[in-house]
Amino acid sequence: MNGFDLNRAYSVARKEVMHILRDPFTLVLALGLPVMLVTFFGYAIDFEVRDIKLAVSDLDQGPAARRLKEIFTSSGYFIPVEAGSGTVGMLDSGKADAALFIEPGFSRTVMGGGPVTAQFIMDGSDNSKAAAVSGYLAGIQRSAAFKLGGAATPEGLAVETRFLYNAELNSQWFTIPGLAAIIIGLLAILLTALTVAREWENGSMELLLSTPVRPIEIIAGKLAPYALLVLGGVFFVYLSSRFVFGVPFAGSRPLFLAFCLLYVVSALSQGLFISVATRQQQVAMQFAMIIGLLPSLLLSGFIFPVESMPPFFNYFTMILPPRWFMEAVRGIFLKGAGLRELALPFLALLALSAALLALALKKFKTDMEP
Amino acid sequence: MNSFSIKTENLSKSFGAVKALKGVSFDFSEGLLHGLIGSNGAGKTTAMRLLAGLLRPSSGSITYFKDGKAADFAEFRPGLAYMPQQASLYPDLSIEEHLEFFRALYRLDAETYARRSAGLLEITRLGKFLKRRAGQLSGGMYKKLGLMCALLQSPSALLLDEPTNGVDPISRREFWELLYGLAADRVLVIVSTAYMDEAERCARVHLLDDGTLLASGEPRAVLEEAGAAGFEEIFIRRGKGAER
Repeated sequence: MNGFDLNRAYSVARKEVMHILRDPFTLVLALGLPVMLVTFFGYAIDFEVRDIKLAVSDLDQGPAARRLKEIFTSSGYFIPVEAGSGTVGMLDSGKADAALFIEPGFSRTVMGGGPVTAQFIMDGSDNSKAAAVSGYLAGIQRSAAFKLGGAATPEGLAVETRFLYNAELNSQWFTIPGLAAIIIGLLAILLTALTVAREWENGSMELLLSTPVRPIEIIAGKLAPYALLVLGGVFFVYLSSRFVFGVPFAGSRPLFLAFCLLYVVSALSQGLFISVATRQQQVAMQFAMIIGLLPSLLLSGFIFPVESMPPFFNYFTMILPPRWFMEAVRGIFLKGAGLRELALPFLALLALSAALLALALKKFKTDMEP
Repeated sequence: MNSFSIKTENLSKSFGAVKALKGVSFDFSEGLLHGLIGSNGAGKTTAMRLLAGLLRPSSGSITYFKDGKAADFAEFRPGLAYMPQQASLYPDLSIEEHLEFFRALYRLDAETYARRSAGLLEITRLGKFLKRRAGQLSGGMYKKLGLMCALLQSPSALLLDEPTNGVDPISRREFWELLYGLAADRVLVIVSTAYMDEAERCARVHLLDDGTLLASGEPRAVLEEAGAAGFEEIFIRRGKGAER
């Protein structure tokens, strides 16, 4: 009777597959979520700020002023809007996002080789947009110095910037591979939490625990189908990244799979822990949504860089598996990082997965004690 | 088949401030059909779960006997089957899928499974509904399926927590006939029920009220000793006594 019986675990897994195939909610969630997330982040959400409405107040009307306007609009980030008499008022009314003021005598001073100034005003009420635009301005300023001032910058130094791993700063290359973390984090935790909580809520766990089946066989059998389902979602992300969005995959596929498996184990363990602690589907679902979504979306570096977070949150993210998985996924996809470069994320994820699994197994009850 | 019996001594179980069972001593002797009789909240389910090893006693003890000798629960457990009170089957699985699932849990070989399942399907008369899902079965059929899953392992002791609750009278009669058959085969059967008329169907009754044992013994002897015409009267008297 002792020991792990693979046949019994397989039979629990087989039963679970039947539940999945016969439960429209689980099927729609498992198959629909990856598709929805890839579509949403791939097409609808773009972290690049474009089409900034620029009102230009050109009091110079000279050739250098026209050239400066062209430099702004040809950058691809700005679209000119007709500036009336009250340029600042256009910012107030939202008709423009930014304004460029060119003073009289601008062109004459440029021709004379003297230092010139043009004023750029940006609507700061949307600080993320303003921060992105201030990044663009540095490039535009350099470009203007070249094109208006001649072959060299005023300092006589030409600076050429080149971005490694994502030369065009394509935001989809950055976000789409990271969706693997969101999909595993959300699906694995949610589906596991629901399936085990359902057994408690329906009373079938009482029946199961009274049979000779061992808890480890129940757990393995119940979790295996969801692990495969979630890995299927990750495979979909991989295929979409490569063949729909053209994201390069520079690293090792076995290493990527190893990271996925480790992260899946950590997520399934969290789901198991939630279900055992709550024993109710509705409560389990609420906890799973919070624990599955928030860390992977907000504290993993998916949207906000971890390094830019206040020290407390920066350290806090270290106990969150999504942070390490996100670092690994981007490193493997774009940089071609190997195990040596990703040793820290690998060890951290290994330790966290082992700890979470041990915690969930310890919490899993073998009786009906409250 | 081994002969199983169970005895408890001052068995108590508390859930926080609630005392569900207050020092009860049962003697479930082998090969008989025992009835654990009591109204809702009497402590029947708690007692059943304690006997099935699903709860730990707060105090007191449970001793399991196998062939007359005290045995560890681990030794006793393979011969023990339990059917919980609440609906515990999978509504989206068919009768056949349930039997296949429990066959794997009990590790039955193909021949044993074929023989036992055929026998159980015959006595429960569920053979023609093999493909029907549990969620689509009537109350009586559902309970019979639960019983079949428990009996698939051919247990020596069977614990049934309110198996006839919500079942129509004809199905209840059929169900009891199944239990008589098991008791005749020397299986220790313990059935909890809130239906007083079912007490008379048992070889031994154990009357539980508010976590305490009111009486134990053969049904007729218990009634004679209490000077009551029926079991209901014993509980009603007890209730009136408590009110005074």
